[in-house]
Amino acid sequence: MVSSISQLEIVIASGKGGVGKSTLASSLAILLAKKYYLIAVDADAEAPNLHIALGIDEWDIVEPYIEGRIAYINRDKCTDCGLCADACQFGAIEVRNGKYYVNKWICEGCYTCSFVCPVKAIFFERDIVAGHIYVKEKTIYGFPLVSSEITPGRPNSGKLVTEAKNKAKKIMGSKKGLILVDAAAGIGCQVISSIAGAHAVILVAEPTPSSLNDLKRIHKLAKHFGIPSMLVINKADISEKYREKILEYARRENIDYLGDIPYDENVPRSINTMKPLLEAYPDTEASKAIRRIAEKLVKIIDNISEWRLKHLPAKIEPFIPIIIKPGNNIVK
Amino acid sequence: MFRITVTGGKGGTGKSFVAVNIALLLAKHYRTVLVDLDLEAPNDHILLGIDKLKNEEPIKLFLPFINTSKCTKCGVCAKVCDTGAILLPSGAYPIIFPRLCSGCKACYYACPYNAIIEGYHVLGYVYRTNIVIENTELTLVTGVLREGEEHVPPGVNYTRKKAEEIETDILLMDTGAGTGNQISIALKNVDLTIIVTEPTPLGIHDMSNVLKITNEMGIRTWIIINKSSIGDTSKIYEISEKYNVEKIYEIPYHRDVVSSYVERKPIVIKYKNSPITRVFNEIAQSIIGLVRSNGK
Repeated sequence: MVSSISQLEIVIASGKGGVGKSTLASSLAILLAKKYYLIAVDADAEAPNLHIALGIDEWDIVEPYIEGRIAYINRDKCTDCGLCADACQFGAIEVRNGKYYVNKWICEGCYTCSFVCPVKAIFFERDIVAGHIYVKEKTIYGFPLVSSEITPGRPNSGKLVTEAKNKAKKIMGSKKGLILVDAAAGIGCQVISSIAGAHAVILVAEPTPSSLNDLKRIHKLAKHFGIPSMLVINKADISEKYREKILEYARRENIDYLGDIPYDENVPRSINTMKPLLEAYPDTEASKAIRRIAEKLVKIIDNISEWRLKHLPAKIEPFIPIIIKPGNNIVK
Repeated sequence: MFRITVTGGKGGTGKSFVAVNIALLLAKHYRTVLVDLDLEAPNDHILLGIDKLKNEEPIKLFLPFINTSKCTKCGVCAKVCDTGAILLPSGAYPIIFPRLCSGCKACYYACPYNAIIEGYHVLGYVYRTNIVIENTELTLVTGVLREGEEHVPPGVNYTRKKAEEIETDILLMDTGAGTGNQISIALKNVDLTIIVTEPTPLGIHDMSNVLKITNEMGIRTWIIINKSSIGDTSKIYEISEKYNVEKIYEIPYHRDVVSSYVERKPIVIKYKNSPITRVFNEIAQSIIGLVRSNGK
């Protein structure tokens, strides 16, 4: 397969949540797995849903993800001076009835509080089970799925996403194939970990003002990484005006438009049966649209190097941090 | 001040839709601040029809600078740094990587020689926009992450702190998707949390994860089942009982929602007689009841 890149990584992302990433990912995975050796990765560790879309309720491998620390205050030593609460940059230290406590759903375990505490009242729980990596070696559709889930309230879900992607690469070994990554909503650490190192991004949008706004933000992120993008418009018929605005943006930004998926009442129905749309309703309009999108995608994958050259971002826009030096001099 | 947080776990369940409409109804009775804490995909202003956010201020995260006249190259700063933002090449002064730095300040306090000076790194921007829609006044505080930045939790904390400085009766916070600690920051010390979900296995799965946090934090919790007509809601009622959810409201799928969304005019303004507006009025009345019993 895959002309010049032996292990291809394609990410499905959208910025806005709930526009249909997992619906598209589950059906695309089934179609692409017929042509390529494919591994699907659920990179939304804070709200992993791809396994549900694929009807998986049992795993072959469950590995704990051990990461981070949580601070605790020894009430016998604490003098309730409040220095720790002032120093914490995460707002993790709360005061209740004049007494200080660490909110374990917020604490990242960075040690800052322990350095400012004058009476050494802070201790740490270490080796926290901050999440899990799950592997289904063979879904009923034939391909493996690697999923990740962060323990609610834990930080650094991006690191867990990187681990999940590495797990998929390990399973792939030296084989040629395609890793299809279903990213989280947003543009933060999870999404950065998802798209770092990818060869292409499939952007999913719906024709609404919010989705257009978020599409621009996620696309800017892809441009920072120099990754070329494709576009799918889901629920395409809900607003012609915003569909046109999205297409206009794609044309201007050299994003390869793969096609529309119409609003289809069978989509929520299929989600409720825990079957990918393509399996639950193979002849419904949205399924037909996804098949057309998959055909286009196969052509792209088979000529990925050429495609990448043609669709590289129009302008290279590396990420540049904005820094304020001591003394308030802003440096760009 | 009465604090409410709207959250949900799954993306696209309608958190911003709920937050914006409830904020507008509450603003008729109380001074209300709506805080958009979805720094990665802030959309409350878009739903409110606002194009230009006002009063921009940078979200400043601490960034270490080395005072080379004091630094002894001991390496303590690099050792305490959890994010790998400080590198100590042998024989040289520490090198700082701003994008990796979470601004936690551990290095600043750990340095035995006081050789670290406080600079900043701009994570994004916080805006404060005063809005008037049909004689209803509302203050919107919006946190926006710069594309490419990744340390969302301290940015959420910063944005919330800015909003808390405003004198108001009601502080209504709208969070992003997910269940990480950036959500818990919006949940701490609130009087009410409203979880917006949808009756699908995906919505229910993510809602359950949020309920674990709100339940253990001991927060009064209500649920809004959005698009309630697209699936079976009975599972949500079942789970809610386990987690002491106080109230459940249903908002059916309705075309008024889509058209108000695309026209960027909140439904409680655009369709005053819509069945959806009726549900929002009922929710707002219940909140007002709570605020009153809290002594306001």
